Amino acid sequence: MTIDLNDKPLPPLVKTNSIEQVRYPCSIAAMHSVSAIPRVIPITHCGPGCADKQFVNLAMYNAWQGGGYGGGAVVPSTNASEREVVFGGADRLRELIGATQNILDADLFVVLTGCISDLVGDDVGSVVREFRDAETPVTFAETGGFKGNNFTGHELVARAIIDQYVGPYDGPKQAGLVNVWSLLPYHNPFWRGDLAEIKRILEGAGLTVNILFGQHSGGVAEWKTIPQAQFNLVLSPWLGLDVARHLERTYGQPFLHVPVLPIGAKACADLIRRVVAFAGLDPAPAEAFIAAEERIYYSYLEDFTTFYAEYWWGLPAKFAVLSDSTYNLALTKFLVNQLGLIPALQIITDNPPEEFRPAIEAEYRTIAEDVSTEVEFEEDSYIIHQKLLRTDFGHKPPIIFGTTWERDVAKGLKAPIVEVTFPTTYEVVLSRSHVGYRGALTLLEKIYTTIVSASA
Amino acid sequence: MGTKVIKQIAIYGKGGIGKSTTTSNITAALAEAGYKVMQFGCDPKSDSTNTLRGGDYIPSVLDLLRENARVDAHKAVFEGFAGSYCVEAGGPQPGVGCAGRGIISAFQLLKQQEIFEELDLDIVIFDVLGDVVCGGFAVPVREGIANHVFTISSSDFMAIYAANNLFKGIKTYSDKGGALLGGVIANSINTDFQRAIIDDFVEKTQTQVIEYVPRSLTVTQSELQGKTTIEAAPTSEQAQIYRQLARNIIAHTESKVPSPLDSQELRDWSSDWGRRLIEEETRPRRKARPRRAAALAS
Repeated sequence: MTIDLNDKPLPPLVKTNSIEQVRYPCSIAAMHSVSAIPRVIPITHCGPGCADKQFVNLAMYNAWQGGGYGGGAVVPSTNASEREVVFGGADRLRELIGATQNILDADLFVVLTGCISDLVGDDVGSVVREFRDAETPVTFAETGGFKGNNFTGHELVARAIIDQYVGPYDGPKQAGLVNVWSLLPYHNPFWRGDLAEIKRILEGAGLTVNILFGQHSGGVAEWKTIPQAQFNLVLSPWLGLDVARHLERTYGQPFLHVPVLPIGAKACADLIRRVVAFAGLDPAPAEAFIAAEERIYYSYLEDFTTFYAEYWWGLPAKFAVLSDSTYNLALTKFLVNQLGLIPALQIITDNPPEEFRPAIEAEYRTIAEDVSTEVEFEEDSYIIHQKLLRTDFGHKPPIIFGTTWERDVAKGLKAPIVEVTFPTTYEVVLSRSHVGYRGALTLLEKIYTTIVSASA
Repeated sequence: MGTKVIKQIAIYGKGGIGKSTTTSNITAALAEAGYKVMQFGCDPKSDSTNTLRGGDYIPSVLDLLRENARVDAHKAVFEGFAGSYCVEAGGPQPGVGCAGRGIISAFQLLKQQEIFEELDLDIVIFDVLGDVVCGGFAVPVREGIANHVFTISSSDFMAIYAANNLFKGIKTYSDKGGALLGGVIANSINTDFQRAIIDDFVEKTQTQVIEYVPRSLTVTQSELQGKTTIEAAPTSEQAQIYRQLARNIIAHTESKVPSPLDSQELRDWSSDWGRRLIEEETRPRRKARPRRAAALAS
């Protein structure tokens, strides 16, 4: 059965050149990847409004995460005007970096350029090099909006810090030290709690972890040890792979790519065992950690099963996920493998580069031993919502994992909705997590609180 | 003032082809004939109007904008030979910023402050940097600025390539209310063979030669004095040719959409002329008669 909001025929599904209700901002929004590193502050060289819009977009109307120590409203900007377009903005940038050095207390500044600077060809590198002897080091990344979205910007920023600040290294490697490249800070509203849980799990497996972003990162001191790591772990379907390849070329570091961000005991144990094998660690402490975590995890799940078995008549059987690729794959895997839900619609919204798409599609075809599903790539909310309306969810509404943009459609479908990615306006998130052992339990609480409270 | 329509023309051509020299002589000839004329140099080098001002450079609009965000546009207008008005758009230092946007900013400043109307101009002549490299340099071609575009070209193939590129730009804007092509000012035409090349090109691209201007030592001598030929050698044969060119331009009313050659056509066309050129070099050279294009006899 196709559910129709108004019992009217649905309009034809035509792809247009416009995007309704955006699901990612442009690459200068990677200023959040900078401020996600403790005591590192972005400096933006762009037109007025660029930095503010990205702050309001990603850190305000997206789980109300706030600006933190050096993000949000703290971020200095050249506010480039017509004068900087015609004559170039180098002088204005020089003035701003100098003033920032005097006013803001940071361990590192990262200049991010916007469209104006990148179009008129400001030599930002030479301006930044003038500050090589300044009290606080400065690096830069060219993140003009036409370079791509904030996922692209995130990788540009990471590479800029590695190349310009971390620098060359040919010393010894530290066995068991791993650099983790996973969620996109701020874009994913749960990144802080999620990265903390990933760090906890990997440490439980016996590794020393450079988590690099968030409250549990050691800031620039931690970034300085990136070249010493035994290997890099890319924990997402594609984000971070370019950085890992760059580190492989630069420091001769191997990398392990695990596309599935682990949610729940099954995925966590899979990850731990793969990582331990890759690192050549003694599996015994890792197995002890898994056993201890599973004892607690499954005891909670046992309590949950009473509800899950008795309330079956009021629970959705099918689900739709409309989110960035990392959460999309992770949620789909968890919902199929640990809850036995049926995948009805999976749409990835972060526009992954074409080269990564076949591998991502292959993950969905083997989502469980006996379950295969298809994934689609779409950025336009109009199309996404039309696909949602055209999907056959059976006799009960599905549960939707998506964004605030799906609220109205969900209401029409009478479907419960859990906001999991940008924009998540109807959630306030601090340290909550959806991944690992602990985050999975929080996610279960969130999903089924949403469902049972619908009849309140 | 009131409903008076100001004739606005743009003159394009490859760098070094004699654009500013020719434009300044047109301006001088028109000013001398009593027209209220402004020459608007659209080149970051800011040297378009030098020979109208005794070799002096003038501060450009963008020089003023660099100093102050708010600029009185009158300060960018200078008087030149015979009461002509001189303006230079100016631009950033080479290799910095966006010169194209600079031209847009400079033009908009004069337009916003209604300088053209205030000076009660009859004609504004934009002297634009050789190649239309970006949107900024296409400003005079676009809607609401120039009414007619002329291109200066010699019989040199690179100059003709530049002219053909300009024709492509004009064609792009032609259905969007942009300026159309008035014709080609054939410069440095001293032989029948050179004239034949230009004539063939304008025929193929469905336009016309507005005037043939020979290369002349008088022009060089005048420029060395910091003057136009009209001013420095008013009775010379070359000055008469510039005056005729100016009369043709002021009389010109109907511009057209050109038919630029595509890359392959241009290659074929130039290699055909290259072959003829080799044949020509084996023959004695004859001097071209100083005559106007037959098409413009009226």
